[in-house]
Amino acid sequence: MNLNDLAILKVSGLSPQAIKWSRTLDVLIVIVAAFLIWAVSHISFLLLGGDWDFFIDWKDRQYWILIIPITTITMAAAFQAIFWNLFRLPVGATASLLLLLVGTWIVRYHSWQGLAFFPISLVVPGTCLMGALVLDAVLVLSRSWLVTGAFGAVLYGLLFYPSNWIYMAGYFQPVQNMGDMTSVADLIGYTFPRAGTPEYIRIIERGTLRTFGDTPTWVSAFFSAFACIFLYYLFWGLGVLACNSRFFPVGDRFKSIYGGKSGAADSEPALKPGVPS
Amino acid sequence: MSLRNRWGLRAGLVQLSVLLTLLGSLLPTPAAAHGERATEPYIRTRTVHWYDVTWSSQKINVSDTVTVEGKFHLFTDWPDAATKPELAFLSNASPGAVMTRVESYINGMPAQQSVRQLEIGRDYSFKLVMRGRIPGRWHLHPVLNVHGAGPIVGPGHWVDVAGSAADFKVPVTTMTGEVIDDLQHYGVARVQWWQAGYALLAIAWIVWWIRRPLIVPRWNAIKKGREDLLVTRTDDRVAAGLLVVVLVVVIAGYRYTTQKYEYVVPLQAGSFKTKPLPQESPVVTVELKDATYDVPGRSLRLDVEITNQSGSPLRVGEFSTANLRFINQSLDVALAGVDPSFPKDLVPGSGLRISDDSPVAPGETRKLRLEATDAAWETERLVSFLTNVDSRVGGMLFFFDGGGQRHMAEVSGPIVPVFTQLRLAEKS
Ligand SMILES: [Cu+2]
Repeated sequence: MNLNDLAILKVSGLSPQAIKWSRTLDVLIVIVAAFLIWAVSHISFLLLGGDWDFFIDWKDRQYWILIIPITTITMAAAFQAIFWNLFRLPVGATASLLLLLVGTWIVRYHSWQGLAFFPISLVVPGTCLMGALVLDAVLVLSRSWLVTGAFGAVLYGLLFYPSNWIYMAGYFQPVQNMGDMTSVADLIGYTFPRAGTPEYIRIIERGTLRTFGDTPTWVSAFFSAFACIFLYYLFWGLGVLACNSRFFPVGDRFKSIYGGKSGAADSEPALKPGVPS
Repeated sequence: MSLRNRWGLRAGLVQLSVLLTLLGSLLPTPAAAHGERATEPYIRTRTVHWYDVTWSSQKINVSDTVTVEGKFHLFTDWPDAATKPELAFLSNASPGAVMTRVESYINGMPAQQSVRQLEIGRDYSFKLVMRGRIPGRWHLHPVLNVHGAGPIVGPGHWVDVAGSAADFKVPVTTMTGEVIDDLQHYGVARVQWWQAGYALLAIAWIVWWIRRPLIVPRWNAIKKGREDLLVTRTDDRVAAGLLVVVLVVVIAGYRYTTQKYEYVVPLQAGSFKTKPLPQESPVVTVELKDATYDVPGRSLRLDVEITNQSGSPLRVGEFSTANLRFINQSLDVALAGVDPSFPKDLVPGSGLRISDDSPVAPGETRKLRLEATDAAWETERLVSFLTNVDSRVGGMLFFFDGGGQRHMAEVSGPIVPVFTQLRLAEKS
């Protein structure tokens, strides 16, 4: 424990006994919060991002690059807001993306390989983790959500493509299949059949986001970065709302049930435990 | 109960159900069936009619191939509730990737991509070459996925795959000369090492923060206006360092990768088009006068009027619908048309009964009653006419002329279920 930690404890005004217990509480909260962040980030990604990161032959130059950052920055921003506002802990974005990545890999092995016999090469996930680290670092340096949105969120969107291309480029080497040229990724998708996912379900580079001739990737990355700014602000705001204790209506009632307070604050008759009103 | 609390209760229930669903999914249990009987009868009897389907083998070892090939006819009386086959993809049904796809063709054209603008009323040939990957007993069907109509499953046959999954490999050489030892594992270690590196940075960053006094002390410090203690100069330096490390790693890594993989191609996504198989000029017309399904008797009865427009006498040899083949048992050439490898459960033993089985002479018009009776109507779940928006039935009739030549004709029309023996007696 360094001088700064001691200063924080001093300012907090806790007794030595309370300090000991507060560390136990820290450990418990960290564990509970980790599961909460994990579940919320994962479910939100499945709802918003869906198929675009499931399969290697869905990772196109337009929608994959566009959709993955703008769907994951939502929970990154919300958890960043919560932990920054309540505790000045700039770890919300990193924790959200780290736990999402861990959860994604568990699902890849448990469900995709375990249930459907898909090889892992078909279902390697991308990650926005590098962007999340930048988002948290910019928040520390600026101490401002406004600046973090304007710079951090842009970097978050921009970093997704290059930070994943480093290990995914190999999947886009040309290869021949039945006499036609295709990519290794396409070939993997073709070789290992997915009964519920016919080829035409994929949405590969359909749309008008294709200026600058041969480089749709960076056009998508910049557009993604631009959209990330607004999503960051929106979900930062939602995170701030979620910190507000007004949204936990148990307060006095909870206390009265467990004997912490005699007589409920509202005008309803006092509750007996286990009896629904 | 106040509105607020009711809301809280509901949110609690939602959370509980999500939790239970998550817990329930913890145990991996691969499903055996793949829903071939779940599709509505009007789709299975009136869209894609598979015929002449053969399986090259029913017992293979891991890494050996099995070829499924045959033809399909796209039905003219295609139901309105299903999208027309403007975009389709040839695939197979099996529980997960237990077999791999080596080659697939429609009319001899490579079918890696989807095929567009298939013509209704016409026929196409298909070929699927599958390779055993996971040992087991797998039901292998050809499937035509039709955009908007869903998967339309062809006849399925059991294929035993013996051996060890560990022996399975898919070696590939790229056009740039890189030798890929096994497609199943290609690139996975590279992805995992890099992502583990990213995760390590993330863990270091999180530990840097949570090793300190956390929840209550920091909360109190904020309340007392001492934020300056919570994020220090050192933290600023660490954050700046992290920012630099991330940017350097990503930029350097990206530059290295783009140099290493000089030739890359985007995902390939165009569809292809193919002409249907040549059409023979119609030699027989079939008009459906009446169709009933006898629910207690499990019997489909079709009253048809047949006109022989060819120069040769014709006999009815087979009625085929939803992959079931009802064969006229007294016509040898029709019986011979059932390949010995064809799954027996799709060829009902009672066959097709015909009210007058004598040859229909050239130019003759004759009314016939065809009866296809079998429990398969129930077991294949083909009789849910009452729950369908479209209570029509369809199928293919196969005629054979004197020379043993086969001619196909469509038959379709409304169907009336009959629930009591009494009403059947009235009708006949
Ligand atoms: Cu099956």
